[in-house]
Amino acid sequence: MKHKETTWGWMLAVDFFFAGMGGAMIALAGISYLFFGDALTATIGNFIGPIFVAMGAGFLVLELGRPLQAWRVFMNPKAILTFGAWNMTLAIGFGFVFASFRIASLPWAGWVWAQQITAVSSIITGLIVATYPGVLLGRHNARPFWTGPGIVSLFLLSSLLTGLAAHDLANSLFANTTNFSKLLAGLLVLQVVLWGLYIYMKCTGTTNREATIAQQWVNGDFAVGFWAILLGLGSLVPLIIYLLPSNPIMTLAGILVLLGGAWMRWMVVKSGEYRTWLPGEEFYLSRLPRGDEEFLKALK
Amino acid sequence: MARYAMVLDTRICIGCHSCTVACKINNDLPVDMIYNPVTTIGPTGVYPNLHMTHIPLLCMHCDNPPCVDACPTGASQQREDGIVWVEDEKCVGCKACVMACPYGARHPNLEVGIVQKCNFCMDLVDAGEEPHCVKTCHQRARIFGDLDDPNSEISLLLNSERSVRLLPELGTEPYVFYIMD
Amino acid sequence: MINGVNLNQDGVEIKKSVCYFCHNNCGLLAYVKDGQVLKVEGDDSYPVNQGALCSRGNINHLFLNHPNRLNHPLKRVGARGAGEWEQISWEQALDEIAAKLSELKDEFGAETLATAGGTLRTDDWARRRFMNLFGSPNGFHNAHLCWIPTFMVETAIYGWCPFEIDMGNSRCIVLWGQNPGASSMPEMRHLSDAKKNGLKIIVIDPRFTETAAKADLWLPLRPGSDSALALAWLNVIIWEGLYDQQFIENCCVGFDELAQHVREYTPEWAAPLTWLDPELIRAGARMYATHKPGNIQWGTAVDQIGKPGGATMHARALLRALTGNLDAPGSDLLTGPAQDFITDEEMEANEWLPDEQKAKQLGSDKYKLTTWEGYGRIAEITRSVWGKAPTAEWMCEAHPPTVFNAIITGQPYPVKALITLATNPINSYGQTSQVIEALRKVDFHVSMEYWMTPTAALADYVLPAASTLERPTITSTYGCSDFLLASQRVVQPLHERRTDYAFWRELALRMGQEEMWPWENLEEANYYRIYPLQYDVNSYDEFVERYRFHFPEREYYKYGRLGFATPSGRVELVSNTLAELGYPAMPTYVPPAENEVDDPELAQEYPLVLTSRGGIMPYHHSEHFQIKEIRFLSHEPHAQINPETASKLGIQEGDWMWIETKRGRIRQKAEVTQAVHPKVIATERGWWYPERKAIEPDLAGCMESNGNVLTSTAEEHCDPMGGSWANRGLLCKVYKTNGKDGM
Repeated sequence: MKHKETTWGWMLAVDFFFAGMGGAMIALAGISYLFFGDALTATIGNFIGPIFVAMGAGFLVLELGRPLQAWRVFMNPKAILTFGAWNMTLAIGFGFVFASFRIASLPWAGWVWAQQITAVSSIITGLIVATYPGVLLGRHNARPFWTGPGIVSLFLLSSLLTGLAAHDLANSLFANTTNFSKLLAGLLVLQVVLWGLYIYMKCTGTTNREATIAQQWVNGDFAVGFWAILLGLGSLVPLIIYLLPSNPIMTLAGILVLLGGAWMRWMVVKSGEYRTWLPGEEFYLSRLPRGDEEFLKALK
Repeated sequence: MARYAMVLDTRICIGCHSCTVACKINNDLPVDMIYNPVTTIGPTGVYPNLHMTHIPLLCMHCDNPPCVDACPTGASQQREDGIVWVEDEKCVGCKACVMACPYGARHPNLEVGIVQKCNFCMDLVDAGEEPHCVKTCHQRARIFGDLDDPNSEISLLLNSERSVRLLPELGTEPYVFYIMD
Repeated sequence: MINGVNLNQDGVEIKKSVCYFCHNNCGLLAYVKDGQVLKVEGDDSYPVNQGALCSRGNINHLFLNHPNRLNHPLKRVGARGAGEWEQISWEQALDEIAAKLSELKDEFGAETLATAGGTLRTDDWARRRFMNLFGSPNGFHNAHLCWIPTFMVETAIYGWCPFEIDMGNSRCIVLWGQNPGASSMPEMRHLSDAKKNGLKIIVIDPRFTETAAKADLWLPLRPGSDSALALAWLNVIIWEGLYDQQFIENCCVGFDELAQHVREYTPEWAAPLTWLDPELIRAGARMYATHKPGNIQWGTAVDQIGKPGGATMHARALLRALTGNLDAPGSDLLTGPAQDFITDEEMEANEWLPDEQKAKQLGSDKYKLTTWEGYGRIAEITRSVWGKAPTAEWMCEAHPPTVFNAIITGQPYPVKALITLATNPINSYGQTSQVIEALRKVDFHVSMEYWMTPTAALADYVLPAASTLERPTITSTYGCSDFLLASQRVVQPLHERRTDYAFWRELALRMGQEEMWPWENLEEANYYRIYPLQYDVNSYDEFVERYRFHFPEREYYKYGRLGFATPSGRVELVSNTLAELGYPAMPTYVPPAENEVDDPELAQEYPLVLTSRGGIMPYHHSEHFQIKEIRFLSHEPHAQINPETASKLGIQEGDWMWIETKRGRIRQKAEVTQAVHPKVIATERGWWYPERKAIEPDLAGCMESNGNVLTSTAEEHCDPMGGSWANRGLLCKVYKTNGKDGM
């Protein structure tokens, strides 16, 4: 008996992180072009967006039991995962095409109408990619921590936050400017408030099984990760940095936001391992071998 | 048309795990894949006033199976007779169905990279036989049959005894029924 | 096509076999092609299991093909227990073993050879036949712990053991120290079926078992105090007038004497000894006596309480007689031995063992009921009524602890050679320190085995044994039932494995016993045995394929025609036979082997009461720890402890804990459960760790979690009648282990 992931593992959390961030970056690039004159995001940031989504897709493929058969996930139009896969593909395409308008040497660099259409498409598909993990998880009746619409706003928010921070990191590293500090600070406040309320509602306003797992975030296995890392290092510390008048460590704030976003996804995915245990199931599982026992290795 | 279902009579199940092993051996499953665990509740109470029940678990072959909806490749399917099964060839092992199932009835098989599950031994059922877990049960605590046939053993039993289903509030409409003490 | 194996392909044969992994012997169908077993399944037409199989039954083909099985004869080349072997031919092994046995016989007498067999894994009559012709009375099994004393006590009192229970017509069953819910699936099925029709189930067990959970009445007595309970039931049934007056008048002798004898044994007297409420004791007696017909099912527990065992069996046996629950429809049936086929006993050649050799049987001076003196007398009486005797193998054996002691001390005479077959005494016999000392010391040890067990690891020769699918089998309840069930060989023994019959016969041929072994193989011998049934078959295999079993027509109330096979011809409530052998003619109270009343000082140091559990799914005795396809169900040893006690000792669920008696200590994990009384600890038995190397000194961890390290074979703890030693009802203490590994 090998020790193994019987549920979704860390690669899916990484996928959610990169895809969400990248999706938001694609959407934000489109928004900034359409409404703010295309100066707010760096070219490299516009390219990184679809690259991140593609990286996310890569992790998703690696998470599969049979990665070479990955094309099959496009096959069931009724499944939300299939919709997600198609949308992700489109977002990557629009994202790259949109970013390419910045390269003057390309023949279509000056086609404004095309750039505008691509921007709109990027905004739509990018926002869907950014929101999608929340929708996917929220539909899981079987997983008490995820179930319900609340998780959707948390994922959308986190995608926007990390996407914005990534753009700003690109700006500061490649264009020596930062444009989103105040916006990021505002979103971080929102993140603290929404997460606080989500856990509070799960603990007190829902079913017992939801409360059971949410309690783990308050004072159980996930408590340190929630209070210290997600809310502390990943939200409050960068919030303070963003609010400082003169800001030598802005880059650090951006990195902390990204780390916080990745960490949040890991904790959320991990909390999905908890299902409503059926009668006696928990004790039964506790008696099974973990997988590293001598008899499993030594006996044929 | 048939609608297959199973009744677990916990009044007589003794928790011997024969079904667990018969399933594993005959379906050639790795040691860590258990389609049909039998759990034990108790003894509850305080010595010597005690009560103990065994609960055989398995795929509930839901009428509204969330695992089938979740599958992006169409590998997870439900037959007209209600049997929920996985077409191995189409499965990519994304585990969406594992996460969607509230009953822990879906199992990634690391040796082949796909997700597998109890399919009521549909090859046997199609050949007119009973699933392995049913045949092996000394206690006959597992009753398998066709609910569309009003005279089948399982229909008669469900009509005469009170039964419950697991997590009915999730709207999955399980077709596995438990007769409790 | 079923799960990747096409059972309909050309050349697939279906063979009718049997599972050997416990006493029920469930019928199997094996799908075979080109000598390969593709699949096994329960045989729907087999009356015992009707198609069902337990977890063990399902792994028969894995057992057959398991890579850890022994496949070739091995001869020790290094130090004993060093794990250094040389593969040799069967011819060489047999020649050398025969030469060595002859040499030892010449020097020390035939009795210097002792042999031990496993539980129904072997054709016991063949070993007995060899031993009788060789001249040694010192064959044994774990018989003393398993039914045999019960059989002999009951046969002494009413002329046969009423082990055949007519459950279909019964209204009440007493499961006395038996847990069919974990050890006897087919019986449990019958119980469940009968319960639907109103059968009352009474479970007497210190543990809240799988079976107790389904019972109408559960009597959780102090382990080992069964004698007090049985006497109190006799008292209630007699003094509340619940007995069957007509049966007693017509069929019994000694009622008035018995009534006076048990007058003192009231439920109030028994309550402090058994830890049971007097009203619960009464309720049980009343339920059994007033729901007629009823059964008292045998369970191993009473055979394993040691000192009080015989007295308890005696008192329990009288309950049937008082209530008339003997050989009537729905009661316990006195079927007698088989009349129409050749029994095991008739294959044993007991008449060839000279009387002076019988007298040398180890333990026969003390434990007369299960050795030649008692057995001989009882067999004489049953022959006069039934025409046949119980099997001598099992019913009349050397006393194992006495044999081990003789190996160690050379007293009363030296035992220099030991042959063990399909048995692992280190894990399955009492007081392991004594067993292992004997096995390390014995001059010459041959082990015929499936696996390299801790016992085999200490042998000089290890021979590969054929297992269940590799041999034909006749099932007839240790040779004592009036029916038989027959199963065929599925495949010839794989590799160089052989049946034990082949081993004994080959050895016998080398020792000048040719004329006595006319059957070249088991099929021939089995055909000889069933030939008198006069079926129209030309071979044993044909019988299996066409008939499979033979059940004579059931006849109730046989005693009306034959009388009872006792000296008086009646049921002896005051037993002549027992008195003749020097035992009390009526049962008296015998306290548990170790107890707080008689030895308060010991109880100070060892304040808890130990009981060694019986069947634990998926294991049987000390078997199957190798097979991970079932080991995963319960991969570590667990001992049950009440939460109140656990909390006092700072022990939590899953903690390793030491369990210690005067004999030694073992570690098992705590299963904190209300299933046992706060003063009771229930250990699992048999544990060893095949994943470790079977070499000295660890010998696959055979002492680490093995419940038998704790049990006692001391003479003062053995039952003077049947010789059983104490596995249950001993005093122990428990404490948490130190450190991560707990060592």
